[in-house]
Amino acid sequence: MARRGIRGGLLEFIEERDLDQFYFAILEILNEVGVHMEYQPALEMLRDHGAQVDFDNRVVKIDEAMLKQALLTAPSSFTLYGKSSDWDVKVDLERVYTIGGSCALSVLDLEGNHRPALREDLVQFTRLLDALPNLDIMHQMVVPSDVLETGYELINFSTCFTHTTRNYYSQALSVESVQDQIKMAAVIQGSEEEACRNPMFTEVVCMISPLKHGRLMSAVLMESARHAIPLYIEVDALCGATTPVPIAGTLVEQAANVLAGVVLAQLINPGTPCIFSIASGIADMRTGAYCGGAPETNLIHAATAQIAHYFGLPYQGGTCIDAKLPDAQAGYERALQVLTNILAGTNFVHLSYGMMEQMLLASYEQCVIDEEIISCAFHIAKGFEVNDFTLSVELLRRVGPLGDHFLTQKETRDYYRQVRWEPTITNRDRWDAWERAGAKDMRQMANERARAILAEDRPLAVTQEQAEEIERIAQDGVKRALARRGQAEE
Amino acid sequence: MAREKDILDELCQKVIEGEIEETYLLAQEVLEMGLDPLKAIDEGLIPGIVEVGRRYDVGEYYLPELMMAAEAMKRGLEPLEERISEMGVQRQTLGVVVIGTVKGDLHDIGKSIVATMLSANGFTVHDLGVDVSPDRFLAQVEETGADILAMSALLPTTMLYMETVIQEAQKRGLRDRIKIMVGGAPVTAAFAQRIRADGYGDNAFDAVRLARQFMGIQ
Repeated sequence: MARRGIRGGLLEFIEERDLDQFYFAILEILNEVGVHMEYQPALEMLRDHGAQVDFDNRVVKIDEAMLKQALLTAPSSFTLYGKSSDWDVKVDLERVYTIGGSCALSVLDLEGNHRPALREDLVQFTRLLDALPNLDIMHQMVVPSDVLETGYELINFSTCFTHTTRNYYSQALSVESVQDQIKMAAVIQGSEEEACRNPMFTEVVCMISPLKHGRLMSAVLMESARHAIPLYIEVDALCGATTPVPIAGTLVEQAANVLAGVVLAQLINPGTPCIFSIASGIADMRTGAYCGGAPETNLIHAATAQIAHYFGLPYQGGTCIDAKLPDAQAGYERALQVLTNILAGTNFVHLSYGMMEQMLLASYEQCVIDEEIISCAFHIAKGFEVNDFTLSVELLRRVGPLGDHFLTQKETRDYYRQVRWEPTITNRDRWDAWERAGAKDMRQMANERARAILAEDRPLAVTQEQAEEIERIAQDGVKRALARRGQAEE
Repeated sequence: MAREKDILDELCQKVIEGEIEETYLLAQEVLEMGLDPLKAIDEGLIPGIVEVGRRYDVGEYYLPELMMAAEAMKRGLEPLEERISEMGVQRQTLGVVVIGTVKGDLHDIGKSIVATMLSANGFTVHDLGVDVSPDRFLAQVEETGADILAMSALLPTTMLYMETVIQEAQKRGLRDRIKIMVGGAPVTAAFAQRIRADGYGDNAFDAVRLARQFMGIQ
């Protein structure tokens, strides 16, 4: 049975009538200021469908009619497929899911060493995350330094895709890479047509603020849309530096930027799933550094849910935290971040497992701690039922003011398991008992849990033969990517 | 001469306040009054930017004030330097820097902060912008006789182009003539060492420190 996430949307920062003001502001930017797109075929495509294009400056302006047409065909619900139907994800504008990753260059390993990420880390992170029940979508946690070269994303695809049961959130750094990835999915899905019809992977394209679409990202967007591969169209605003300081202004820039991509994708292939995505953060005004864990960043991510949903698009928010160790800072930053996002109805809470230090560091221990925090936050967002049974008047009447407690009541025994949140590495003992059990703090608990999970025998998510075939396609793709790069330089 | 001191103080003040256009207009006024442009720089603009640096160090100023002051300084320098070159005098520069974000990468902001800070600190900076090919970097180095080549990248994949540029510099026999510094989110000191850059800066101030060190300035 497919996954159906809990419903978010309890938390709103924008009033209904202000949403219309956002709409008009976003339209004004799209129609009068425009978006810079480097990629000539993107500009031509948009011009052919009525956009106003300044080819000298490569600026495209999109009017309300074009936007509305795109929003008409962009779906607000669809399915992202896992390796088994247990991990199929039913996406709509309310349900909330999580995504791991992404792309850390360094790891904090289980021995406590800070070192460059390796391909073996990618394997181990994928195995660890795949064992965590609240992880819905898999993404590459690290950029392995031992395979980092042109076309490396194909190696990452091969590594993650063969080790995960979840839908895989991929990245392509060339048009050919999209094609190679379809071929890799086809190895287990039978054919390329099937791999595109029931996508087990998606592509993310990252746009730049203010209002810029790089050549490569447009090319990948167009190629993915041609094959109806679902797209996370992402903008990464550095609020205060690459977008205005006011959060409202940042929301306007983000939306204009993302929607220009949505319009392009829908022109190429109407109906291609487009997820309105951000990985924005505020700039630390002292140094310009990206701050994922800041309260302002949480506000941006929560409020963007309302903007994305206004346009009828599922929404990806969430980002890294700023802590360097799985410490108190990490705990508070992650807790506020995921709770805010889940309550706001962020449909995909991204980067919420183990990502720290400006997206540069991935921690095994923090992944396990984050699972606990996310589980807790989902429990809060689920809320509680109100009906005659839960109001418990009959029960209160029965026990009454002369009764002792409810522990021996049938309702207690029958119901508590349904509403109880189960801690895994959270300790609730008193001091003496905790001390007798080794006086472990949460990081130690997480370390032991991560080691235990990684020591488990977990089969590949595909057969050995399929894994070898996928790896062969990846290696072949890398060779061709390197050859293309070589030619480009000559 | 009281008038001269007043206007130089005012120039200094405009830099501190980050008034970009007013600094420019005032610098023109200085020239119209017939004052020495070198003196205007040394006793107007430079004390201003030094004071801004102090305010940043004590936590009174943040990046926006700092950047606006640096822009004001650059704008103020325009008419003054033009006059200096008309006079046939060479204004002392701490060094010539060619800077840009590498090929395939459109991320501008970190590189621009570094360029502005270097320029405000007395370096002559040629900012090539973003998506700069190895050839453009090296052609500019040759053309300007640059002392320092500075490269930026935000993406781990585009970061790899830094090595290509360095290898290409080697091939063209330019490598030993220049110092190369690299920076950007994914770049580390270890990476800089591996690709045989001469240095790595963690932030814009680090970059200025490094550039001064390259040029043998205390």
